[in-house]
Amino acid sequence: MPDRSTPQKTLESWKQIAAYLDRSERTVRRWEAGEGLPVHRRSHQKQDTVFAYKHEIEAWSRRRTNWPPLASNGNDGAADQPGTPANAYLSEHDAITRTVHRYIAGARAGDGDLMRAAFHPEATISGYCQGGVEYSGSVEHVFQWITANGPAPNIEPRFARIEIIETIAIVHLEVQRWSGKLAGANGRASDVFTLLQLDGEWKITHKLFHWHESSS
Amino acid sequence: MATSNYPDEYDKIAKTMQMYIDGSKQGKSQLMRAAFHPEASFFGYAGEQLAVGTQFLFDWIDKNGPASSLQARVVSVDIVESIAVVRLEAAGWSGNLAGSGVRMSDLFTLLKTPDGWKIIQKAFHWHS
Repeated sequence: MPDRSTPQKTLESWKQIAAYLDRSERTVRRWEAGEGLPVHRRSHQKQDTVFAYKHEIEAWSRRRTNWPPLASNGNDGAADQPGTPANAYLSEHDAITRTVHRYIAGARAGDGDLMRAAFHPEATISGYCQGGVEYSGSVEHVFQWITANGPAPNIEPRFARIEIIETIAIVHLEVQRWSGKLAGANGRASDVFTLLQLDGEWKITHKLFHWHESSS
Repeated sequence: MATSNYPDEYDKIAKTMQMYIDGSKQGKSQLMRAAFHPEASFFGYAGEQLAVGTQFLFDWIDKNGPASSLQARVVSVDIVESIAVVRLEAAGWSGNLAGSGVRMSDLFTLLKTPDGWKIIQKAFHWHS
């Protein structure tokens, strides 16, 4: 398969991504895990390789200042923290927030494909849309909606609750300052994600949502 | 959507959950089917096997038969307007498929519909 990347616009390894951001590899890996740094993967037989687009990294850097402190990582831009979680609970907790951050990154960028990897192929969604319309269906509708909505650069996600029971988990995410072609301006959504641990990775099996009627 | 107070919604959700518990105890999926949304899904590991789909659940309940010693406890009920999460701990599971004295943790997500609160997904973990 021909390499479609343009060398000057693509960063082809953790080393290059780290150099571009003038940080250590450990820091940029942590940023991907905890803060949605847009890093892509190519699947190979033995192991995956990573790459990143400079324009996505730039966009992420610009909006990063808008992010609220994250539960897993409140010390924004500070010196390197230990990259290895201290115990098994923290490992699972971080793996779950990593998965949900893929959803957030896709929502922010307005790119449904960015969040696809966060979901189980048979995942479903249900909830109430704007105007109090009940909806349920395949997760494909989420991807379509996100892409049709376009960028929502100002969304502020907050982890209201993360509950883990061995192989299953619940994440309650409160998201405000939604915007876009479909979301309108300054929207607020409550999301409840159910996750399942699958071959060591956490995948979202269901997204339950409630759009809050605007208070203005 | 009309704003209702937490105790009222809690009681309605508890009724829906009781249908699930009754169906589990008696081994009759018919008793719990109305608690589930038509589009509901079901995910979890039954041993090493990944079980998916409410039909799997209903078949399993019917084949398992009565689990009369089942004891269920509601651990949490969180409601945000039209959506809710219920964590249920069920101990003393028994039956043709369950064996005996088994414990299960459940995370139910529910949706408020014109027909009442409906389970939209059940995720479960069997404790070995």
